[in-house]
Amino acid sequence: MDRRNFLMNSGGGLGGVALSSLMAQEGGGLHHKPRAKRVIQLFMSGAASQCDTFDYKPRLIEKAGQKWDPGEKVELFQSNPGVVMPSPWGWKQYGRCGKWVSDLFPHTAQCVDDIAFVQSMTTKSNIHGPATFMQNTGFILPGFPSAGAWVSYALGSLNDNLPVFVVLPDPRGLPPNGSANWSGGFLPATHQATTVRVGSAHPIYDLEAPASAKYITKDGDREGLTLLEQVNRRHMRGREGDSRLEARIASYEMAAKLQLSAPEVLGIEGESEATRKLYGMDQEITADLGRRCLVGRRLIERGVRFVQIWSGADNGFPRRNWDSHENLAKDHGELGTALDKPVAGLLKDLKARGLLEDTIVYWTTEFGRMPCSQGSLGRDHNPNGFTSWLAGGGFQGGVSYGATDEWSYKAVEKPVYCYDVHATLLHQLGIDHTRLTYRNNGIDRRLTDVHGQVIRDLVG
Amino acid sequence: MKRFTLLAFVLGAKLLPAQAVSFVREVQPILAERCVVCHPAKNGAAEVSLASYAQVAANVVAGKLDESMLSIVVSGDKPSMPKVGGPLKPQQVELIRRWIAEGARDDSAGKKLDETWWSLRPLDKPPLPELAGRTVVDRFISAKLREKGLVPSPEADRRTLIRRLTFDLHGLPPTPAEVVAFERDRSPDSYEKLVDRLLASPRYGERWARHWLDVVHYGDSHGYDKDKPRPNAWPYRDAVIRAFNEDVPYARFVQEQIAGDVLFAGNARAFEATGFLAAGPWDFVGHQELREGTMDKKLTRVLDRDDMVATTVSTFTSMTAHCARCHDHKFDPIPQEDYYKLQAVFAGVDRADRPYDEDPAVNAVRRELMSGKLSLQKRMQPLLDKVEFATTPEIVTLDDRIQDAGSLLAHLGEPKNAAQVLEKKELEARRVVDREARQKLVDAKVGPATYAAIEVLKAEAKILDQKIADLPAPKLVYSGAGFFARVGNFRPSLEPRPVAVLERGSMGSPGKLVTPGALRCVPGLDAEFAAGDEGARRAALAKWIVDEKNVLTWRSIVNRVWHYHFGAGLVDTPSDFGRMGSKPTHPELLDWMALWFRDEAKGSMKQLHRLIVTSAVYRQSSKQNEAAAKADSDNRLLWRMNRMRLDAESVRDATLAVAGKLDLTMGGPGVRMFAFKDDHSPVYDYSIFDPDSPGAYRRSIYRFVVRSVQDPFMERLDCPDPSVQTPKRSTTLTAIQALAMLNNPFVVSMAEHLAERVKGSIATAGWLVLGRELDAPERLGYDAYAARHGMANLCRLLLNTNEFLFVD
Repeated sequence: MDRRNFLMNSGGGLGGVALSSLMAQEGGGLHHKPRAKRVIQLFMSGAASQCDTFDYKPRLIEKAGQKWDPGEKVELFQSNPGVVMPSPWGWKQYGRCGKWVSDLFPHTAQCVDDIAFVQSMTTKSNIHGPATFMQNTGFILPGFPSAGAWVSYALGSLNDNLPVFVVLPDPRGLPPNGSANWSGGFLPATHQATTVRVGSAHPIYDLEAPASAKYITKDGDREGLTLLEQVNRRHMRGREGDSRLEARIASYEMAAKLQLSAPEVLGIEGESEATRKLYGMDQEITADLGRRCLVGRRLIERGVRFVQIWSGADNGFPRRNWDSHENLAKDHGELGTALDKPVAGLLKDLKARGLLEDTIVYWTTEFGRMPCSQGSLGRDHNPNGFTSWLAGGGFQGGVSYGATDEWSYKAVEKPVYCYDVHATLLHQLGIDHTRLTYRNNGIDRRLTDVHGQVIRDLVG
Repeated sequence: MKRFTLLAFVLGAKLLPAQAVSFVREVQPILAERCVVCHPAKNGAAEVSLASYAQVAANVVAGKLDESMLSIVVSGDKPSMPKVGGPLKPQQVELIRRWIAEGARDDSAGKKLDETWWSLRPLDKPPLPELAGRTVVDRFISAKLREKGLVPSPEADRRTLIRRLTFDLHGLPPTPAEVVAFERDRSPDSYEKLVDRLLASPRYGERWARHWLDVVHYGDSHGYDKDKPRPNAWPYRDAVIRAFNEDVPYARFVQEQIAGDVLFAGNARAFEATGFLAAGPWDFVGHQELREGTMDKKLTRVLDRDDMVATTVSTFTSMTAHCARCHDHKFDPIPQEDYYKLQAVFAGVDRADRPYDEDPAVNAVRRELMSGKLSLQKRMQPLLDKVEFATTPEIVTLDDRIQDAGSLLAHLGEPKNAAQVLEKKELEARRVVDREARQKLVDAKVGPATYAAIEVLKAEAKILDQKIADLPAPKLVYSGAGFFARVGNFRPSLEPRPVAVLERGSMGSPGKLVTPGALRCVPGLDAEFAAGDEGARRAALAKWIVDEKNVLTWRSIVNRVWHYHFGAGLVDTPSDFGRMGSKPTHPELLDWMALWFRDEAKGSMKQLHRLIVTSAVYRQSSKQNEAAAKADSDNRLLWRMNRMRLDAESVRDATLAVAGKLDLTMGGPGVRMFAFKDDHSPVYDYSIFDPDSPGAYRRSIYRFVVRSVQDPFMERLDCPDPSVQTPKRSTTLTAIQALAMLNNPFVVSMAEHLAERVKGSIATAGWLVLGRELDAPERLGYDAYAARHGMANLCRLLLNTNEFLFVD
């Protein structure tokens, strides 16, 4: 059975979109010619500060320690606004574009000429759960498909031996909302993410049988699958005209292929010392994200469409994500250092291999942090202004789009919601976000709800 | 194609102008197709209606195109109308413009368009087709088949029938003995006896309750961030199972879920059934941690009520009222105001544990005491708020310091060295001093009179509390609650909160306040409710839904039941009977069943099942028929039975059953099939769960259903996300699903148990898994495989066959 038939029969929502996805696979794009084929999304769980990373505001240094007055009532998540708090990190200009980046990210800073910064992000909730949903699915409620699931639904696979949408969670734990962040929502289960726990003994659920079942062997399975196919084919006699039976037979062939290809793609033994170093795998603090970023590259290199890499787990204590209410210098410091070199390594490596041409690297978080202090050393949530960035896949390097006010408090110039970023991302993948729909409970749902404008300035 | 369009255009432009455009023949059909959807005779979007000549004329100035709204909105490069489905075709625009230019003449003789959508039309008894059949159902199905020149398929064989029926009504396979007995029973009513036996078994309620829980998106945890377990959600699940098993009439079943506490006070099951109100997800952080008075707090509450409205309306009436949150419904006659009137029904409801009693006498006392506590709390709350929200700049400064100390302490955690021990000590000491200072400032601001008044009320409350404590310990169910003990910033409303229409759904622009009500589009029913207390509002909605004039309710439920029996509803969108949904394939049958169910069966689900499954159409073979497939490839007319893949729960339960491990214990708290750690965000880890743990053999409906992290095995078999209302599951067949069936520890373990059970007999394994004798060639292959790789491996293979996973 060929792939076209398999897709037709493997179930769930294979109407116009899936049919066109065959065309997409053959290079056409779903709605127009694509500039990019794949996405690696880096998600800073807990809300990474913009004013300590990519949103330089000298005013915070000028007015350090003074009463903060943005000229309006400020409603914070936990606290009352404290004094103006400059970043604990210094700032320098980098690249031909002269982008200011804080000393938290010295390595990423070397790549600014490849990055398009969106400085005017804003969102609809000040609470981690809903806001993290929004950045992933476009809605502040649970139950909606994430961007990766939509891309899977739209474009399908580039490699039948691997899943289309892969998530690499932080080994310290899942982010707020758990795996519902990468849910397929109401889309058919085909489009759910496959979670890969990089570095653990069994990175993919059920890829192999439990080790305790000694009687399950490779030989036994090979023979068993051959026999199973015979049995299933025999069962089909007298049941003609039901392509699902055939599709289920094919699913076992694909399972066997996945068993073979997964260890290869996750195994980084073959990577050179230089590559490992580039990703920071030689140092303890950067080893984990280095490894996951490298696996991310290997996945997209082999045809996975959408890889999502998480920095940070939930918002608990001791702090294990970016939610730095208490001590920003310490917590952002550790997370930022762990992230910086691996991400820079990923960008450089993709570029060197020519993969950055048609791979989008998308760095985001659920909201930003306040320019004033919370308590003595922390920052509270800020949904009014934060930074996301995109690189590769036709995004223009060295560009900064939109701006926050003088405090880095509020997006004032060209405010952007995740709708616009998602619309642009889909656009680069050859998808018109208004035409990528799935009917659920009476509504033709979209990743971009009823909003979203492609940000032309980012993609030229 | 292009040429045809061109030709039509040329014809339209060149040949027709000789004749004046007719409103009735040319303009009205365009309006009917594209405009009246949103602009029906009543409650049209933007207060524009286009259902009759008079209404159209109100939007037209005869002879003046530039002044005619109708012409303006549909013309030009980017016409503003229609909002959906793309612009009108050029020749349609041309016709409308010419009709206006020619003077907008009326040849309608007052004729209105029939804009009543099928689902809102009255339920009239349709004439019965004059055809033979096992049940009335067959007459309608055969009549449609005959129209297309098709005939039904012959009856399926006995083994197929018992397997189909048992999975359909129990979600389990028949035992080999049951198969044999049924094959041997040649009495004329053997099939009916089987149906009765299956419907009388408690397994039936467990199976059909699972369908219901999909529709209402039941879960045992909150969802969102900090996805805490809901230890008392399960009584609702059990109440649904019991209602199915006890065949509670549908009208009663509906009323219990929306307002069982009010309408059937003292009845424990009715109280448990109100768990429906709280079945969906809940934002713990937004409700419990977020400060009172913030915009996000208000938004959290609006969205919480939105879930209640969406769930209630789509579950019981198959309408998508939630589409009218930001604007009037774009496709159905549901103005935005109706949506907010529905929000007002739930304006006093939050989600919390509620106490109840099995003993009605005890419960009567408890209700009395609780009502006393509520009125006391209403008097006390303003005083408490005076204390809680007492503020001065000094108090604010201290608040900040106290909070800072708290967060620094949390961040510090357990001290790791002497310096940290000291730091912790200092912070704690500072906080004690600050708290004392704060209290003094608050006391000064509030004044002794208020405190004295609070003390008096507290003394009263203490007496009531003691009386409540003296009652036998209550049971708890997680439900819709108007009054409960405050936790953190999550506090009861005490009175229904005011509900305003939100322009564009935005919190920033509250419009006019609304009173409770329901959908005005249902004919013959009063959709205005009295603005009574919280319970009275829900009771009014429950009564509105089950009113025999509510045509949506009765159509909705018979279609749902049909959907699960056949794998497809007569209306293929069981929760959407609006214009974006499917139309019924057999509208007469649907109406006949709805009336029969309402009036003859008095809402008995079991009678409805019996009607359907004893029909010839249900008993058909699922075999292919090339000719019929050509005429009706999707089998919408039911010329055969649909073959179905087992759903996730049936796969799991059937696997347990054939392995001889199924534990039929009913009810009680959900079985936690994961490792659990109640951290800041609770951690649910399925990977280290032992499938042979205590309770792990229970039926899948008794699983503890987590929202944030689903059971990967179930998820891969298309078990839906419990945060999504799922009227219809999708069925996928993926590589990752095949891996789950091959390697998941559960399947592997059950394969081992099955191997032990059959004691070396491959024939027995065949009987257990497939319900039939294996034939010689099959046994040859299986014998050889088992000899080389062991019986457990063979059993694993059998559990992976299409024959096990599909029902003919």
